[in-house]
Amino acid sequence: MNRLQVRKVSVTYRKKTGLKPVNLEATGGEIIGLIGADGAGKSSLMHAIAGAKSFDGEIEFDNHIYRSPKEAEKIKGSIGFMPQGLGLILYEHLGVNEHLDFFADIRGIKQDSAFRAYRERLLHMAGLSDFTERQAGRLSGGMMQKLALICTLLHRPKLLLLDEPTTGVDPLSRMELWDILDDIIAKEKTLCIVSTAYMAEATQMDRVLLFEDGEIIDKGKAGELVEKVRPFSYEAAPEPFENSITIHGYTYSLKPLELKSKEPTLDAVFFINFLKKYGPIPEISIVHKDRDEDVPATIMEAKGLTKRFGKFVANDYIDMELNRGEILGLLGANGAGKTTFIKMLLGLLPIDEGELFLLGKRIESPDDRQMLKAKIGYVSQHFALYKGMSVRENLRYFANMHHIESRRALDLIKEHANTLGFYTYLDALPTDLPLGINQRFSVAAAIMHEPVVLFLDEPTSGVDVVARAIFWEMLQRLKKEWNIAILVTTHYMGEAEFCDRVVLLRDGKKIADDTVKNLYQIHPDAHNFEDIFLDYYNLN
Amino acid sequence: MRAFWAIIRKELLEFLRSYGLLIVVLYSFTLDVYIAGNGINLDARNVSVGIVDYSPGFISNKMLSDLHYPQFQEPVFFASQERLNLAIRNKEIMVGIVFESDFEKRFHTGNNPVLNLLLDSTASAQSYLALNYIQHILMRFQDTLSLAPIEIQIHKLFNPNTSYSYFMALAELLSIITLLAVILTAAVFVKEKENGTWDIMLLMPTDAKAVILAKSLSQVIIVMIGTIVCVGTVLFGIFDLPINGSLAAFMLLTFFYAFTSAGIGLFIASVARNIMQIAQLSVIIMMPLIFLSGAWTPVYAMHPILEYLSIISPLRYYIQGSESIFFRGTALIDLWEYFAGVIVLGGVMFWYGFRKIGKLF
Repeated sequence: MNRLQVRKVSVTYRKKTGLKPVNLEATGGEIIGLIGADGAGKSSLMHAIAGAKSFDGEIEFDNHIYRSPKEAEKIKGSIGFMPQGLGLILYEHLGVNEHLDFFADIRGIKQDSAFRAYRERLLHMAGLSDFTERQAGRLSGGMMQKLALICTLLHRPKLLLLDEPTTGVDPLSRMELWDILDDIIAKEKTLCIVSTAYMAEATQMDRVLLFEDGEIIDKGKAGELVEKVRPFSYEAAPEPFENSITIHGYTYSLKPLELKSKEPTLDAVFFINFLKKYGPIPEISIVHKDRDEDVPATIMEAKGLTKRFGKFVANDYIDMELNRGEILGLLGANGAGKTTFIKMLLGLLPIDEGELFLLGKRIESPDDRQMLKAKIGYVSQHFALYKGMSVRENLRYFANMHHIESRRALDLIKEHANTLGFYTYLDALPTDLPLGINQRFSVAAAIMHEPVVLFLDEPTSGVDVVARAIFWEMLQRLKKEWNIAILVTTHYMGEAEFCDRVVLLRDGKKIADDTVKNLYQIHPDAHNFEDIFLDYYNLN
Repeated sequence: MRAFWAIIRKELLEFLRSYGLLIVVLYSFTLDVYIAGNGINLDARNVSVGIVDYSPGFISNKMLSDLHYPQFQEPVFFASQERLNLAIRNKEIMVGIVFESDFEKRFHTGNNPVLNLLLDSTASAQSYLALNYIQHILMRFQDTLSLAPIEIQIHKLFNPNTSYSYFMALAELLSIITLLAVILTAAVFVKEKENGTWDIMLLMPTDAKAVILAKSLSQVIIVMIGTIVCVGTVLFGIFDLPINGSLAAFMLLTFFYAFTSAGIGLFIASVARNIMQIAQLSVIIMMPLIFLSGAWTPVYAMHPILEYLSIISPLRYYIQGSESIFFRGTALIDLWEYFAGVIVLGGVMFWYGFRKIGKLF
């Protein structure tokens, strides 16, 4: 049997601990899910098992014991490893067939009739049979990921390691990816270890391991884990209780409360763990600002905005409106055109066709934007800040760029750091900080000059559940207290819940645009937003 | 103005915190110039000599006594010319001298004595210089018999010791200034592209011109500081390089020239997407500029077309101007030609680079 035993495996990077000693035992046919934030140790464990990274401890698979990447060499033929990143193992200029040939050749697979039949079956399952000549660079994100998966499956590995194969992939392709996996695992008795950013996927797996700060904090069947935290989950309390967390319609408390209990989800496990470890979430507030009332009600209006890259249409006649005091969620899979749209709004990409009004003013030339820059805040993907400077130095730089007077800048930095809860990290370099802190500090950098509209591009990608919840809380407060307009892009369909209104993009087209309330009314049988959006995907 | 200084401060801070880059720049301005001045030596040194002597040996031994350290090793004697040939082929011997059996007789009778020399020309410069030495020795040998009608008196101007170190070290410093000004300037822009801070930079309510100028100036400052360090420690401190002109004039010329190079850097930054592309592009663009400057071949020795083209290489004016300041001690007023060359060409290059990158804002 394909038995995997991981004994006291730990991974260290130059300074940091990537993974504290971990034990794991699994057999073929099982799907094991790894969940947790970026940098929690999921990838480290996979790299160690795949023999792609040196580690301490011992791993046994298929009766081979290895302690280093070199010793793992002999079992690499039976491992399939797909690293994190959309289409990372693919070659942009090679076609689908050429990929399969290439991977068959480097794996030294005998190209007999059995292999050809298997290959056809994989192609068919991935829905790529009609695109065998197309170059990988021209496939959609979902297709790329499916191609990467069947390339990894080509040599019939006994152990499959998939690092976030579904992150940023559209809901339909995600379901298809899982269909392929379930089918292969059932037939080939493969042992499959998958990390995922989607709790809904984790619920479907045989076992899940919850990671935090390089440790496995809990493991078991998703149902069992949820069962364990059931006594601590309640309906949201109207008034905050001591030592509890109230968030997203739930109240979590370790002590019994006089509240109705509520069916918990896997998220609850993270909150309860946070409560046990650090206590309640530190209070987050927003620096006070006088409301300016002369801001028009419609902050942004786009009429038929279009962007083409050669033949490829990234944004196809998109109409959109953003109002004051509103959080608008721009949702879609990777490659759906979210970032392109934001970049057109900001003037980082020229508009090919259509009209754009910002603060009631029609934008026609770069000069129209110059004076608007002071009213716009922008947080880019991956919280891009200067790595060579401390948090304080970064903020001072941004204050100077916005012509904020020095003394006022210092006061503002202190206030934002206090209210957003990163005061203790002011003199640290951004690279040494947890993602959740970076996320809040980039927002501080973007709102120091008191903009009337805030654009955020994928601010919650890779951030852990608790930090994500805090972040959405913060956006809600910002909206309420400053009455500003906020546009957020995300590929987590579930985050639509926290927006006032959502716009769904697919392949550059707008396929839905409505308030959250209305969407639930139109789709009464939907359990969550994943379901609602699947409806739209199926329609179009 | 406040944003202008904020950018300069930020770039300098980031430079000081990226230790890898800091070490490379420090190395370039100190050790690299030192190695170039000290290590690259075109003198004939320690040349191995092989001798086949068929003559009685009176004259030949007298001649060989002149081949000595440090130019030559102790001569090795071979029994036959075949052995000598083999030794040269095996790289054991660089210069072979064969005295024919009738050499001495012909020498005394003045009947065209022939000396056979075998040179390993794979080390062309060294063996050619060795040949020169041997000819020189022969000439002196003839002098003793008062056969040579002319005595040569040599006066070496500007560099009496004909020290290579002076030229090599100075030329290396000028190349380093060129290279670093280009690469550092291109890197401050491309690093923002790589880190994803580019978009944020564009969205700042600061004039694009001020951003570009501040970023370029910050790197020019780094290059100027490096130049001062290099001139002070390596050129003056170690090589004891004389300066006959004004140091201030050299620094001023360097300042203008650094902006010229920064202009090339701006152009590269407008095309390159990552640091790797900067490295590739700077090699492609810098090579013809350096080649045309006269750094490797004197301008007058080039093909007429290339000689004509070298007028547009700002490095040409910079090198000639710097050498004039250091060695010839040319007065500031007479340097106008070099200043004009650097400023006019530099102005055009910086303007072009500035416009190219400005289009991205």
